[in-house]
Amino acid sequence: MTDDRNKLQSEGEKLAAAEYVLGVLGAVERRQVERRLVHDQAFAAEVSFWEERLGPLADAVASVAPPDRTWRRIARALRLPAGARPRENLWRSLPFWRSFAIGSAALAALSIGALTFIEISPPHATLMATLAVSSGQPGFVASVAPGGTSMLIMPAALLAPDQRAMELWLIPAGDKPHSLGLIAPGRPVRVEVPRDLAGRVTADAALAVSMEPPGGSPTGQPTGPVIASGKLVSL
Amino acid sequence: MEGDASRSQLVAALARVAGGDRAALQIVYRDTSAKLFGVCLRILNDKNEAEEVLQEVYLTVWRKASSFDPARASPITWLVAIARNRSIDRLRAALGGRRMEPIEAAAEVGDPSPAAVDLVEAAQESTRLDLCLEQLEARQAMAIRSAFLDGNTYEELALRMRVPLGTMKSWIRRGLMKLRDCLER
Repeated sequence: MTDDRNKLQSEGEKLAAAEYVLGVLGAVERRQVERRLVHDQAFAAEVSFWEERLGPLADAVASVAPPDRTWRRIARALRLPAGARPRENLWRSLPFWRSFAIGSAALAALSIGALTFIEISPPHATLMATLAVSSGQPGFVASVAPGGTSMLIMPAALLAPDQRAMELWLIPAGDKPHSLGLIAPGRPVRVEVPRDLAGRVTADAALAVSMEPPGGSPTGQPTGPVIASGKLVSL
Repeated sequence: MEGDASRSQLVAALARVAGGDRAALQIVYRDTSAKLFGVCLRILNDKNEAEEVLQEVYLTVWRKASSFDPARASPITWLVAIARNRSIDRLRAALGGRRMEPIEAAAEVGDPSPAAVDLVEAAQESTRLDLCLEQLEARQAMAIRSAFLDGNTYEELALRMRVPLGTMKSWIRRGLMKLRDCLER
């Protein structure tokens, strides 16, 4: 950890980590820091250093028992949909998911977590994509319903909410990006594919996520940075 | 030691949460929710908002428990960091309703007594931090404490302490660098 941290050269980098933990940064700067945390180990170690050292300041905050309903709401959000089917699908899909680059334990927890948040049973996957972020780590996993009429987008890394929106794009081979709508950073989202595009959700197409103004790209094409992308693969 | 025992219980519970054990999440909630609700409430200053954020916090814990590394962080620090980050993000996303009284007033409202119960943070961490904060100028230390507890931006801190923005930035940045040297020793 100390070795990692020593790789940070500039005072400015060290300061950014401290400012982030202290909580003085604005929303845009916070997102910049969090993007960096995903791929920069030395920087992440510096943030951990500050979290651990400044953490005791929270001792000064009085504990306040939350209302009873808070736990009931959390428990409700975590309840698996009734019936055994989603669970079966989940376990069937695990060996496939393990082949991705995240640790299988993390992934298992993630997939269980992800599937408990949705009311629908996951579609039987024929086409899938792992949308990698700049570090090569998966940022999202996409699972396409048969016929390409919809897809489930599951976050594979914790991307904190941003002022900006995340927009999903379908990029058919040799074509420009087509918007599939907005997705959420913190929870799985089912995206309906417009009918005229469903036939183009094929194994040679790619998916990408870009950062856009709230409400989505004003131009119909990506205007902000692409934060994750990956090719669709047929199982 | 009681603090060590609760810490290792919490580490064990988080490991079970990482494996998908919902009962273990309830244990984590039972042992930490009052502390984290206090943290959210202090930053957001609104019970409903704090309650919503607290729900998000434990759903995040459910998803992210596998990324908790007991070799690198204490469990309560890890949980407090999630609660603070979620609260600060919520605060930044809200356009109105910011708490902007002067710091002197806020200091009176603040509860100076350490959390009476549950998870006693390793005592020497706290002592070390206190020693290092004492070496800063009083106003630097106050700005750093306020920033951490209330989640204020530089701009808000400058307004609350009635100094120019540049002055506030320089107090905190110099304070942080000095603090870093001291904490590393």
